[in-house]
Amino acid sequence: MRILLVEDDIPIQEFLKPALEEAGFPVDLAGDGKTAEQLSAAGNYDALILDLGLPDMDGIDLIGRLRAAGQQAPVLILSARRSTDDRVRGLEQGGDDYLTKPFALAELIARLRNLLKRSGAALNDSTRLRVADLELDLLRRQASRCGQLLQLTQQEFALLEYLSRNAGRVVTRSMILEDVWGMRFQPDTNVVDVHIYRLRGKVDGKGQAPLIKTLRGVGYVLGGS
Amino acid sequence: MFSAEARPLLHSAAWRISAWAALAYALGTLIVFVSLHLYVASDIERRDDAWLTGEVEVLGDVAERTPKGALYQRVVEEVAELASHEVPNRVAGESAPKDAVFFLETDTQGKLVIWVGPGKSDPFLDQLRPSHAGNDAPFTIQTMGFSLPYRVVRTHIDDGSTIYLGLSDRDQLRVLHMFRLRFALLWGLLVLFGFAIVFATTRRMLGRVLSISEAAARIDQNDLSARVPASLRKDEIGQLAQTLNRMLDRIEAAMHQLHTITGALAHDLRSPLTAVRGNLELSLTAAEGATRQEAIIVCMEELDRLVDFLNTALDVAEAKADALRLNREPIELDQMLRSMAELYEPSMNERGLTLRLECTEPIQITGDLALLHRLFANLLNNEMVHLSTGHAVTMRLWREGQLVRFSMEDNGAGFAADVLERVFEQRVRGAGSKGHGLGLAFVDAVARAHGGTVHAANGRSGGARILFTLPAQSGQGTD
Repeated sequence: MRILLVEDDIPIQEFLKPALEEAGFPVDLAGDGKTAEQLSAAGNYDALILDLGLPDMDGIDLIGRLRAAGQQAPVLILSARRSTDDRVRGLEQGGDDYLTKPFALAELIARLRNLLKRSGAALNDSTRLRVADLELDLLRRQASRCGQLLQLTQQEFALLEYLSRNAGRVVTRSMILEDVWGMRFQPDTNVVDVHIYRLRGKVDGKGQAPLIKTLRGVGYVLGGS
Repeated sequence: MFSAEARPLLHSAAWRISAWAALAYALGTLIVFVSLHLYVASDIERRDDAWLTGEVEVLGDVAERTPKGALYQRVVEEVAELASHEVPNRVAGESAPKDAVFFLETDTQGKLVIWVGPGKSDPFLDQLRPSHAGNDAPFTIQTMGFSLPYRVVRTHIDDGSTIYLGLSDRDQLRVLHMFRLRFALLWGLLVLFGFAIVFATTRRMLGRVLSISEAAARIDQNDLSARVPASLRKDEIGQLAQTLNRMLDRIEAAMHQLHTITGALAHDLRSPLTAVRGNLELSLTAAEGATRQEAIIVCMEELDRLVDFLNTALDVAEAKADALRLNREPIELDQMLRSMAELYEPSMNERGLTLRLECTEPIQITGDLALLHRLFANLLNNEMVHLSTGHAVTMRLWREGQLVRFSMEDNGAGFAADVLERVFEQRVRGAGSKGHGLGLAFVDAVARAHGGTVHAANGRSGGARILFTLPAQSGQGTD
């Protein structure tokens, strides 16, 4: 498992490299497009994280060149450009996901994991998910804790399913919003939090160890240590 | 002549315009004069001829009736003398000059019988003899020793002799000369006068233009309050001044808005940045781990708010500049609203608000999904922030011909009167609002980018009502 990080901004390099390595992804660094092309040709990478604003060439063009040179690993695009237009262009050129700066580290790592899963073995399509004493029946769309059926709405089940699939990993509010509700925006009120509180009220009963934990300023995590 | 002041005058448009106008005027009047001159000259000649013909008939009559004898010559001479006193075109009071008229009678052989006229008769006789055979129409002769030609009419009398009556062209030429002289004088005055009038008017007109351009040049970035002088006249220049002033009004308003925005922007950026800096310092110095962690979390939350603010500000700015590019796709608007309502309902319930969506039919449009999500999120956020506990929000979605309409109405206090008019402007927010004043400006921008409109009003029950209209582009059968 090896990641190629193409980013010219030193402060971002400085926090991304250790953060990714701590998450279990060894990182090679390329500060410009030329180096990225050389490293991509020489090394064997499982994923690329690529900033669009490079000193020597346009990041979107670089994706095209890397793809033309036979690079098949998934590419996660980082960009300071927010326009949907750039997002679409980047994805068309062979990018696999797009993250706008500034981003939450948890979100970057979650997306990277998603890409690696997507590109690797097919998703484990088991009909049951289990996290500690929580069990989800994906066919019947029912959840139970300690064998006791939880009274969840469809929306709550979808939210719990999403948290369970990412059990032990941090998910941010905008990730939840995008993946559960299919909406891509940063809510400036606590709409997601209220859904989590309600879900928590049903999942974490009295006397039970809390499963849904809040990481303030970042997001939520289900189960794990 | 070519002093520093004369040069711009000669180079001014007024000077050029008046010069050309004067030239055209001079040419025009000259043509009029030439045709008048031709007419007057021919008319004088016709009158002279008529006089000559009349007189020569009288003389012929007298010559015929008077018996040839000693008296004959005296009688005819006297009549001829009398006739010469009635010369046409003569200046009144001036005695007839001796050379104005001549009378000449020849016998059948062409020999001189009577001569009344200036000097000797021989040069006249020499001139008249070659034309002896011609008809009786008046003709002109140029006599040796006389600078001016004579107009001559002849008549034949029964005894075979011929009578010639000649009239000097002098008076005619004098009249024409006076005519030309007066015209030249008047013409000069007229052209000068015309030039002066055209010059004065154009100079005044262009002077107004000049003062407008000078005033416009004085208006700069620092002082937009000045206006170009606008007269009350509704002519083209008055219009120019008014147009310029209206443009300046708009620019000034825009600049004023910009100043307000940058001022507020600085404030909006400064406070969270101060909080971030302060909390980071606290996290460095705090002894307790929990305090440190709390400080860092506050920083992250503040930064998230900053990013959100920045994004919205950029969206609004792009939309205002018509640079908001849409990533259009077909959207089931009713379903989208339903899931928005599901997303927001718990939060609203927490605040003691109720949310209802009324929509009876599936409605599809093409639009930018992400922007529309944010648009409705903005509207719902507004309700959550501004509405006090116990109130209800109702969203309605319906189709009206080629239009899709969406309304959001609450039964709260409604918009304050001073806010209502400018509710879609940037940085306009109600008293006590904690928002950044971009929400509805953003809604307006997105609606416009989609070819739609947004209206804000207070509903019949007094609550705030937002009406959002979009063209239903994905109608059946159309493209």
